[in-house]
Amino acid sequence: MRRVAVTGAGVVSPLGTTLEQFHESLAAGRSGIRRLAPELTGRSGVQVGATVEWNAAERFKEGEVANLDRVAQFAIAAAGQAISASALLADESLPRERIGVSWGTGMGGAHTQEASYQQVYGKGEWRVRPLTVVMGMANAAGSQVAVRHGLRGPFGNYSTACSSSAMALGEAMRTIAAGRADAMIAGGAEALLTPGVLVAWQALRTLATADPANPSASCKPFDKRRTGLVLGEGAAAFVLEEESRARARGARIYALLTGYGNSCDAVHMSRPDRDGQVRAMKEALTEARLSPPDVGYINAHGTATSVGDVVEAEAINVVFGASAREVRVSSTKSLHGHLLGGSGALEFAAALLALERGILPPTGFLDEPDPACGLRHVAHTAERVEPPRAVMSNSFAFGGSNVVLVASRA
Amino acid sequence: MDTLGRIRHLAAKEFSINPDGLDPAAPLDTLGIDSLSFIEFMFKVEEEFGVSVSDEDLKAIRTLADLERHVAAALAAAGKA
Repeated sequence: MRRVAVTGAGVVSPLGTTLEQFHESLAAGRSGIRRLAPELTGRSGVQVGATVEWNAAERFKEGEVANLDRVAQFAIAAAGQAISASALLADESLPRERIGVSWGTGMGGAHTQEASYQQVYGKGEWRVRPLTVVMGMANAAGSQVAVRHGLRGPFGNYSTACSSSAMALGEAMRTIAAGRADAMIAGGAEALLTPGVLVAWQALRTLATADPANPSASCKPFDKRRTGLVLGEGAAAFVLEEESRARARGARIYALLTGYGNSCDAVHMSRPDRDGQVRAMKEALTEARLSPPDVGYINAHGTATSVGDVVEAEAINVVFGASAREVRVSSTKSLHGHLLGGSGALEFAAALLALERGILPPTGFLDEPDPACGLRHVAHTAERVEPPRAVMSNSFAFGGSNVVLVASRA
Repeated sequence: MDTLGRIRHLAAKEFSINPDGLDPAAPLDTLGIDSLSFIEFMFKVEEEFGVSVSDEDLKAIRTLADLERHVAAALAAAGKA
């Protein structure tokens, strides 16, 4: 069986634009959630969000930047960091046909699509940029990563709402395990904080209202006072590599990606289902050949919706049984917001902090835990423990798609 | 700035190349400008000059000098030059 090592990671997030900054912010329990500027929200009524501090002109050439949707800019930056950290491409013995890309995004080039609609319906000008299609399509960000680095192996782009990039990691792992590639750049990105998208989310009545005393504390997963999720943007990317090859070239191995569970609730488009989540967690543990006591930390999906948090807590209790009293759980969405298609990858990066260094990132602002969410929470501040043997990251999406990743110590 | 000068300036910005090094007679592909990039570039040229180049004329454009001729003709036809 070919095992899969994580040998590089990159992050563009509301908590910083490198993996180190992201980990530092999580360890400090800092929140990147803010009141959104009126030009971003329009009249949608959305109050808070988690934006990336981003100066594209510093990162791309003048002619280039106008031709890359914000989501592709994030993707290129995160993937570039991961590739550079891994030094994968310095190994000339590995043909680019053996390196693929596995990407995830919910909406793709939302800014490009919105600009086009604004032009047509807003201004009544039926003349849009010729690059609208290739910048706006869902696979643009992942394809830009492949083009940048000449990665000619297997390509996949997953669009399963909030589980998209977790699925991209899982499928990349299977691609390497099956021998169809020796390395994969896997991750996801989302950049959809535009008035037209925000008003659609607002219509769902699932977004948090601003905390009047502290807007940064507006997302409160597992707390009795939770009012909903806070949208964010960003990207995370990893270099996944066949383990023996990674060891032979002396690569730094952050972790082994050992388990991937994938199930569909098949009951409802938005209401989560405990049993579907249970199946995905069990599948991931079985594939990783681990039992519940081996898992020291779970990065929960924990969106801070009234129903979602309770169902996930129940599912964790079903899977972990008596171990549920021990396994530490947090939802880092309280700090970086919900990156939707990018969230699985970003939260896998958060879980690596727990696995590698034993720093368990907290659920921010969890002052009044909801008794209906009976979990061993890491609240307010990071908890420091002996690095656990394994960690889990949950991503449960609209449409009933459940993806669970398990990473083990290298 | 004359028409060709403005086109060269736009091209230099779009493709991140030095305008002084641009040979107006060089085929576009030798300047590293592929067909998709060219279509996007034409969109910006049309915006800049407020003219429209037909699909048929577009196919005949091989160089920046060709482009200048078409833009100049379109400007003249529109009474802008």
